[in-house]
Amino acid sequence: MNSLFSKRPLLRIAWVHLFSKKRQTIVAMLGVMFGVTVFIFQAGLLTGLQNYFIEKTVNTTAHVHIYNEVRTARPHVVTRYIDTADRWVVVRNQKPRDEERKVKNGNQIIGLIEKDPRVEGVAPFLGLQGIFRFGMSQQAGTLAGVDIIRENTLFKVQENLIDGDMLRMETMPNGIILGSGLADKLGASVGNSIIVISSKGVALDMKVIAISKTGITLQDNTRAYISLRNAQRLLQQSGSYITDINVRLRDVNQAQAIAQEYQSKYGYRAEDWKAANANVFGIFRIQNLTVTFVIISILVVSGFGIFNILMTIIYEKMPDIAILKAMGYRDADISRIFLIESLAIGSTGGLLGLLLGFITSKIVGMVPLNIQGFVSVQYLIINFNPLFYLAAFAFALVSTTVAGYFPARKAARFDPVEIIRSR
Amino acid sequence: MNHAMISARHVTKRFTEPVDFTVLDDVSIDVQEGEFVVLVGPSGSGKTTLMYALSTLDTVYDGTIRIDDTDIRSLSKNQLASFRNTMIGFVFQFHYLLPDFTVLDNVMLPAQRLGLWTDEEMEDRAMQKLALLGVADQATKKSNRLSGGQQQRVAIARALMNDPKILFGDEPTGNLDTKNTEVVLDILQELKSEFKQTILMVTHDTAFANRADRIISIRDGRIV
Repeated sequence: MNSLFSKRPLLRIAWVHLFSKKRQTIVAMLGVMFGVTVFIFQAGLLTGLQNYFIEKTVNTTAHVHIYNEVRTARPHVVTRYIDTADRWVVVRNQKPRDEERKVKNGNQIIGLIEKDPRVEGVAPFLGLQGIFRFGMSQQAGTLAGVDIIRENTLFKVQENLIDGDMLRMETMPNGIILGSGLADKLGASVGNSIIVISSKGVALDMKVIAISKTGITLQDNTRAYISLRNAQRLLQQSGSYITDINVRLRDVNQAQAIAQEYQSKYGYRAEDWKAANANVFGIFRIQNLTVTFVIISILVVSGFGIFNILMTIIYEKMPDIAILKAMGYRDADISRIFLIESLAIGSTGGLLGLLLGFITSKIVGMVPLNIQGFVSVQYLIINFNPLFYLAAFAFALVSTTVAGYFPARKAARFDPVEIIRSR
Repeated sequence: MNHAMISARHVTKRFTEPVDFTVLDDVSIDVQEGEFVVLVGPSGSGKTTLMYALSTLDTVYDGTIRIDDTDIRSLSKNQLASFRNTMIGFVFQFHYLLPDFTVLDNVMLPAQRLGLWTDEEMEDRAMQKLALLGVADQATKKSNRLSGGQQQRVAIARALMNDPKILFGDEPTGNLDTKNTEVVLDILQELKSEFKQTILMVTHDTAFANRADRIISIRDGRIV
């Protein structure tokens, strides 16, 4: 210790200062530690859940979704001929036109997209509302008419099954795969026969061949897979009728560009997965902002703690500062003493905070919690991205340096004569 | 050997706040190398102000002060700090030892700023200075464990650490009893006679003043 300090009297003075104010130093360190812990924990928790959601979303929604955007609110034909700039035109009770949701030439488009080397898989989709009936219980939900083999290349249907086998859809013409929440509400399990009724009034007898659980609560509670043919029958449509085309890309980051390309190429609305989940990403942004504010305010408070202790030390150690200056120590030496002190508090508190943040995250990640929210998870998913640890530590150092800067500058500007003469 | 270590010419210092007041009024003095000079005068006479100006701590005045032929005000703030570090030692009424530091560490502080010597050399020199002041046996004690007289002697050892050209003092015996005052005065005289140390001290103690080579008396900012 002695040899470490002998060439560095400033370091030694700083050390002695902090040591003479043990309690306050520890409190200031705890402040930084707490800030960093919250940073690590909150950021890990938040981005862990968000990443989990994004991963689930990427696996359960199409990277590019092509569909026929039906505009129900349309301008009345009268407005085409009458100038509405200086008069009112009121047309009451205009009904939506019976527009086809159909994607025309859907199979040809699928054939073309399939040849695109950037595409991993394409699947047709026919979505409709329906009512599920099992004995006396009845549930409304959505039906996804799919080509199950193609659907599986896109959305890992088989992986998400908790009971039954997807491939029975191929051999059993009236097979249905229920979402786990939907199956629970109906009280149905694999092997049961249920009745599905469409809005066109068509009822089909179907046999539950599998139960699926994706982890995305909304889907699990309402959705069922049936074959494309059965969906067309429920809507009384021919074999070429599909409403959507889902595309899975090799590189998910190209989704936006490819969606734009397909939209202009095929003349149907093509939406990438981020746009489709824009509301969720909006919520993420607000979450991130909130947490950022919490973290910043904690670090600001801990910064004030450091500022406070340094000011106390400076006023108490004025005679030391005066004599150091008289014996030839420069202003920069003096301010360095106090910057060293704030950095010592910041880095020690920061390191402890990293450790505590890591431990807290590990412990919380082990506690079983069955959460049914956006997504259903058994454990909190925590992101241990080392970048957070780096950022938290850097943030701690920066905030403590800022907090230490003003006291340090003040100390450097003390006039030794004034201090000595006032004694 | 007739070399002026300190040479002040027409030094004038005024305060305008709170009232217009001339602390130093056209003061010119020379202190020769190896001379032991004492500044005396009643309180408020400006003797302490003059000492701080002569010792480079205060640079706000009219006129010129040269130390060892260097015009003090031609130096930047940092140069001035280095200048003090090598050229000047201070002893104040209060010892200004850093508490929680050992006696040895306190004495080594000026040398650590200087950075010329190795750890061993610094320690040797510090021990020599402490021996000279008769407090070598206290070297490993914390400075706040010492008696007042011992502390002041350690402070003098610290002032001498870098072998300064001039030793400045502001009432260095002001806090000491008669016996310790005698000890300190003996030491100062020994420094002057054996090491040709230039010394300039402020005091109002006549016993102290009588030990000096020359007494400069100041009244109302003027030399009388």
